[in-house]
Amino acid sequence: MRELVATRYETQLEFDGRSFDRPDVCVIVPAYNEGAALAGVLEELSQLPYRVIVVDDGSGDNTAAQAARFDVCLLRHVWNLGQGAALATGIMYASALPETRYIVTFDADGQHTVADLPRLITALEKEELDVVLGTRFRDGAVVSGIPLVRRLTLRMGIAFTRLTTGLVLTDTHNGIRAFTVNAARSLKLTQNRMAHASEILSRISQLGLRYRETPVTVRYTSYSTAKGQGSIGAVAILWDIATSRMR
Amino acid sequence: MRIGQVVFLLAGLSFAVYATRLRSTVTDRLVYLLLAGAGCVLVLYPDWSTGIAHRVGIGRGVDLVIYLFIVFSLFHYASGAAKARQTERAITAIVRRLALAEARPDSALRGEAGSPSGGASAALDSLGVPPVPPDRQ
Repeated sequence: MRELVATRYETQLEFDGRSFDRPDVCVIVPAYNEGAALAGVLEELSQLPYRVIVVDDGSGDNTAAQAARFDVCLLRHVWNLGQGAALATGIMYASALPETRYIVTFDADGQHTVADLPRLITALEKEELDVVLGTRFRDGAVVSGIPLVRRLTLRMGIAFTRLTTGLVLTDTHNGIRAFTVNAARSLKLTQNRMAHASEILSRISQLGLRYRETPVTVRYTSYSTAKGQGSIGAVAILWDIATSRMR
Repeated sequence: MRIGQVVFLLAGLSFAVYATRLRSTVTDRLVYLLLAGAGCVLVLYPDWSTGIAHRVGIGRGVDLVIYLFIVFSLFHYASGAAKARQTERAITAIVRRLALAEARPDSALRGEAGSPSGGASAALDSLGVPPVPPDRQ
């Protein structure tokens, strides 16, 4: 097990003077070996008034060190558990803070657009919703550079979701999701790895949460495409889902 | 449909039911003992395997032994997977507890930004999180 626990953080932050006008909104950023992209993402996020919670999922690179330079909450898994587990840890921390009213998840690889966040929060505040899901494939959404094989795999994911949960969505695997704190607490996610996306949707369906999709902008750079799980990942997800019923 | 095929389908179905509902450490061990016992019997009385095989519609006694071994392997897999799942749950709980206990809050939660969240410390305490990181006390 890597000796990550011994690291102590510098008190002198490089980026200070953040505004905390909206500490009731927690943005959870799960990160695994995103040392290259994370600083850029956190720099953008620090322009917003929300609380940011970075969950380092046992990274072997300088992910945690990068996050420590910013005025964010930093949680670290000493062992890589998976994105689902990182989200669950972040949600547990965020929902324990008494100020929290909204929880948003946001990817660390730079695919998501920070400017989309206020719209998700406003939708939760103004409409009677428990969940707002980002989608790449609705009107107004901008998708650049998505590979064809990925697009086909996503189509199958959409059909699978409709079959298993009854939810009719245009995007079933988008990491940008906003929840009210009560909705987030009630999810009780158990899937540690990539099947968590399917688990979130089936929990939304089981709990009868009020949801809506909203268009978001997703950038596919060569960095994020190379890093992202391939269509082979779909096999792992199906396996996890199939065996999740085993005692 | 031959009786052998029917038996196969029933076996497959009952395994699925077993793996998703009835399985536990106790039942796993009972199944192991049962199958091990059957294996011993067939070694001691090899002629019995041909008799039983013909009764069920399988060609040779050897085939029956092979099928029983397949069944044994399925149960062994389910039992091993269950232990692996338990271990993963334990690791997750430990790693998460550690992450929460060693969390570094942002400056607002630490009270540096001039807006101390007194209520936050109580909530974080319930998670086992110290309000100020251990190294900064």
